[in-house]
Amino acid sequence: MLSNDIGIIGYGSAPYDKKPRRTIFGYLGEAASNALKSAGIRKDELNGLSVDATNLGSDTAVTTAEYFGLSVSWAYKSTAAGAGPLMSVANAVRAVEAGLADYVLCFGGGAQDVAIFKQRIAQFTSAVTDYLLPHGHGGPPGLHGIIQRKHMELYGTTREQLGRIAVDERANARLNDAALLRGPMTLDDYLNAKLVADPLRLYDCVMPCSGAEALIIGPLDRVPRGKGVRLLSALERHNHPVGELAPVRGGWEVFRDALFNEAGYAHADMNFMNCYDDFPIMAAIQIEDLGFCKKGEVGRFLDANRLTHDGSFPFNTGGGQLSTGQAGGSAGLLGLVEATRQLRGEGGARQVANAQRGIISGFGMISYGHGLAAAAIIVEQA
Amino acid sequence: MRMTESAYPQPTLTSTNAPLIEGWRRGELMLQHCTQCRAVIFFPRHMCPQCWSIEIEWKRSSGRGKIVSYSHVYSQVAAPFAAEAPTLLAEIALDDGGAMLARVISSDPAAIKSGMRVELLPMPEAARYPLPTFRPAE
Repeated sequence: MLSNDIGIIGYGSAPYDKKPRRTIFGYLGEAASNALKSAGIRKDELNGLSVDATNLGSDTAVTTAEYFGLSVSWAYKSTAAGAGPLMSVANAVRAVEAGLADYVLCFGGGAQDVAIFKQRIAQFTSAVTDYLLPHGHGGPPGLHGIIQRKHMELYGTTREQLGRIAVDERANARLNDAALLRGPMTLDDYLNAKLVADPLRLYDCVMPCSGAEALIIGPLDRVPRGKGVRLLSALERHNHPVGELAPVRGGWEVFRDALFNEAGYAHADMNFMNCYDDFPIMAAIQIEDLGFCKKGEVGRFLDANRLTHDGSFPFNTGGGQLSTGQAGGSAGLLGLVEATRQLRGEGGARQVANAQRGIISGFGMISYGHGLAAAAIIVEQA
Repeated sequence: MRMTESAYPQPTLTSTNAPLIEGWRRGELMLQHCTQCRAVIFFPRHMCPQCWSIEIEWKRSSGRGKIVSYSHVYSQVAAPFAAEAPTLLAEIALDDGGAMLARVISSDPAAIKSGMRVELLPMPEAARYPLPTFRPAE
C-alpha cells in the first residue's frame, strides 16, 4: 500500500467542449475549483501541485503555480503522456506521506479540437516527425490500425468483439451528462462507420476535445468515511517490449502480478475497471495484459461479458474517452476521477452497485509505431 | 516534378541519419548495423539501443522483405497525403534483418495481405518519396 493515511479526498471536472472556448488554464482552473469544493478544503491549504496538460507550451508546474497564485513545496509534471497522470497521483500520495506537502492538487487538461490535435501529432516526437509523418502515417489511428490487424490475425479477434467496448461504453455515456458523445450506438453503427485507418473506423477512434479533470490528495481523515480513496498499489513500465515496432502487448504485463500482490486482492475483487481507451484495441490489450483473461483471449472475454455499469464487467463507467472525448491531459485522469466518483457513491444513474474497489490503467506516449507508456493503479474506498 | 517532391513533409537531415536520407536519394536503403552485438538499428541512432556501442556501420540493404501488418490510412494529418488517401502504411520485416514502418505503393491495394513480399520502389518513382518506400515484389 502506498499509504494508509493519505489518499484522494476530492475530485472535479471542467465541462468538455468540442472546440476550445478558453485557454488551458481556464479549463484547469474550473476543474480545480470543483475539486476543492468536493474535498471541502480551502485553496490556501494547497501546497503541492502536479499538472499533466497538453497545450501548456513552455509552461511548467511552477509557472502553473504562478498562474493560480499557489505557493508550493512540491511541483511535478510527468512525461508519460496518457499514463502520466495516474503516476502523478501516486507520486503525490508518496510526497505527502514523505512530508513534502500537505495537500496536493493533481490536474490535467487540454484546450484542443481535431484540427489543433492534428498539428500537435505532426510534432509529437522526433521519431514521429522524421520517420512517420513523411510516409503519411495518419497519426495514432494509422499505427493502431497496424496493431489491431496484427491482434486480429494472430488471435482471431474480430471487430464484432472489439465493438462491445465502444457500444457498452456509449451505453454508460448515455447516463453521463458530461460526455460529449451521448447518441445511441448499435453494433451495426460501430461496424459500418466511416473508415479512418482500416481496420479502424470512426467509433474506434477517440475524439480530441477540450476540458480538464482534477483530484485533491491529502489526509483521508479530512473527509467523512466513504468519501476518500486509498491507493493500494500503483506501478508503471515504459518502453516495453523494447525494440518492437507494433506490439500487441505493453508494460502492464510486466507489473501485473506485483500490482495485485501489493494490493492484496484478486481480479475477482475488482468492482470495475477504467482504462485508457483511445482505441478499443488498446482497451482490449489492457484487459489481457492486466490478467482479466489470457493473452489472445480478449475476444472471447468480450463475447462473455457486458461492460455497462450494471454489467458483468463494469468498464469505463462514465463512457470512457471514446464517448466523453479526449481532452488532452485530462484523458489520463478521467478513469481515476470516475473511479473516485464511483467509490464515493456519487455515480448517479451509472453508479456501480457496492463499488468498493477498482483498477485504473493508463497508456500513452505514442512514438515510432506504438504508445510506449503503461501504468495502473488499484484503489479502494476509504 | 520538384514541387510534388517537396510537398511531402521531409525528415530533418542530421549527422546521424544522413546516410539513410542521402542513400534513399540514390534509391538505396541504407541501414545501421551494430558491429558489437550485430543488431540492425531503425530508426537511426548515434549509439546502438541494444548494447550502447557507438561502433555502428552503415550497410546497403537488399530492400526486400515482407509485410507483417498494415493499415490503409484514410484520415491524414499532413495535407499532401489527403489527395492520395488511402495511403498504405505497413510494418515491414526486412530479409537482411531489422524492421521498419514504411509506405507501400500499390496499384491494387485490395490485394495487400500480411505476409506479402515487398521490395523497394525503384527509381525514378522512388525520387518522389522522402523516405524508403516499398511496392509488392514482382
